[in-house]
Amino acid sequence: MSTNRKIHKILLIDDEQDILRVLSMSLRIDGYDVMTARSGEEGLRLFKAQSPDLVLTDVKMPGMDGIEVLRNIKALEADAEVIIITGHGDIDNAIEALKLGASDFINKPVRDEVLAVAIGRADEKLAIRSQLKAHTEELEEKVAHATQELRRQSNFLSRLIESSNDAIIATDDQLRIVIYNPGAQRIFGHTFEEIKERHITEILPDEVARFFSHLPASNGTATPTEWVETIVTANDGERIPVRFYGAPLKEKGKLMGSVSFYQDLREIKRLEAELLHAERLAAIGQTVAGVAHGIKNLLHGFKGGSYLVNLGIAKNDDEKLLKGWDIIQRNIKRTSDLVMDLLSFSKERDLDYVPCEPNAIVQEVRQMVQTTADEYNIRIETDLDPAVGTVCMDPHILHQCLSNLISNALDACLFEVESDKQWRVTIRTHRMENDRICFEVIDNGSGMSPEVQKKLFSRFFSTKGHRGTGLGLLVTRKLVKEHHGTITVQSKPGAGTTFTFCLPFMRHCTAAAGSST
Amino acid sequence: MGKKVLVVDDDPDVRLFSVTVLEEHGYTPLEATDGEQGLAIVKSEQPDLVILDVLMPKESGVRLFRHIKTDPKLQKIPVIILSGITQKSFLRSQKALTEFGGAAVPEPEAYLEKPVEPEELATAIRNLLH
Repeated sequence: MSTNRKIHKILLIDDEQDILRVLSMSLRIDGYDVMTARSGEEGLRLFKAQSPDLVLTDVKMPGMDGIEVLRNIKALEADAEVIIITGHGDIDNAIEALKLGASDFINKPVRDEVLAVAIGRADEKLAIRSQLKAHTEELEEKVAHATQELRRQSNFLSRLIESSNDAIIATDDQLRIVIYNPGAQRIFGHTFEEIKERHITEILPDEVARFFSHLPASNGTATPTEWVETIVTANDGERIPVRFYGAPLKEKGKLMGSVSFYQDLREIKRLEAELLHAERLAAIGQTVAGVAHGIKNLLHGFKGGSYLVNLGIAKNDDEKLLKGWDIIQRNIKRTSDLVMDLLSFSKERDLDYVPCEPNAIVQEVRQMVQTTADEYNIRIETDLDPAVGTVCMDPHILHQCLSNLISNALDACLFEVESDKQWRVTIRTHRMENDRICFEVIDNGSGMSPEVQKKLFSRFFSTKGHRGTGLGLLVTRKLVKEHHGTITVQSKPGAGTTFTFCLPFMRHCTAAAGSST
Repeated sequence: MGKKVLVVDDDPDVRLFSVTVLEEHGYTPLEATDGEQGLAIVKSEQPDLVILDVLMPKESGVRLFRHIKTDPKLQKIPVIILSGITQKSFLRSQKALTEFGGAAVPEPEAYLEKPVEPEELATAIRNLLH
């Protein structure tokens, strides 16, 4: 008799008083709490009222027999333990009872040892069942907990996707949209309901859609894209600049879908445009200040000139009159230079691609400055690449850039004209492999300090005092840029300066090239 | 012989203008075409007044002015700045040089912004050389 047995309360049903008395006595001695019933009906009532752990019932009883009691009890409580007591050799009833779910059957006359074994087995079954139940409950609890954790994680992830400021769109392996966050709606305009299950390629420009179209056939070998800028079209037709990044989603090397991210660049583009505008305004302000400075100097020259002219007239002094007139004429020239520089700086002119010979243009410009160079004993040398030949570029731009840089080079030598050094300006041309021609203007003149080099291409910077408008290099750089070229400078104070600019050319002038910008 | 006035300007037209005004008013003009030459003449001739441009090749007027005003032998010589640069920019660049570790310099005795009338220049000269 184990102390942790499950069976404590036993209901005993038999119509024979003697058997009831004997059996109940023997069970009580074994420590059970026994209640007895003299009929099937009474037994069923007691079962309902007392919920015994085990029922022992005789089969043959007047009124409700044992089989009927069993059926009723099982209907009330499928797990109830019921042992049937059958007459000797009453196999049919025994089989029927087992079919109906009886735990066991024992034959009359009931022997104590047999009864004890049957009760022991029922006890074991109960113990196992209660263990199973505890186990099941524990499992259920674990499942519930895991489910809750999963739900929490899933919620966490969907909140994460929802709250992303960037658009996130995910598809299944057939490229059908399955995730489409509010950020995506802000860019593309469609609601999730409208877009759900549609193919992602329908809402993307070709260059980006191509990445997705290749995915299903890629057998899991596809790799993520770089971040690229592109323009998507929203459902209202607005073209929206975005930064795009797409990646395949794989599971065990097999494609399971795709995810793509889109950063809205509208605000950034707007700020960039604003900044550009502000910079332009600042540049205009600086330009105006620079122009005003230039005009003040010119006015001073005119005043000085007219002062001398007036003096010359008043005193009948021809020398003063002529000097004054000279000043006025020089300032007319300086005014005209400033205006021409300003005009070429402000002009937005279309490129004029025509067949030309860059080497011939170099010689032309050289001719222009030869007199000045001779006057100051500056040697001009040319080293022209015969491969340059005839190409298609804008000869006006080339002419102006060359003449600006060459007269700068001469000025650099003029600064120290009293020295007996042999001043030299060299002009070189090279035809490059990438359809560019590079021009070098090299002087061994005064050179420039790093500070001066830094300011070189900024507005109105002149080291030439009255001789420069401060616009020459600014204009040169603008022209080179308009021709999609590059310009660089290398210089050392006292050693000289090299300006290099490279302009792209076309091998043949096409009819359409005339106004290409 | 009138008082000596040095005109420092790289623009010959501007020099001619100032020199003529000086001659008309009985002064003896001296000329320098840049700051370097200007400093040499200031030292050798000890003029009574300097008329100084700001933007010049080699040593600028900003530097020459500092040289004159920080040299005990020269600092008493009055200086008229005659420039297209505004007085504000000139003072700002002096302030920047002082902050950069230079000695503090006084403001120039007179500041004339181009363009200048001959009478204006003559008055400024007369005020400093009475």
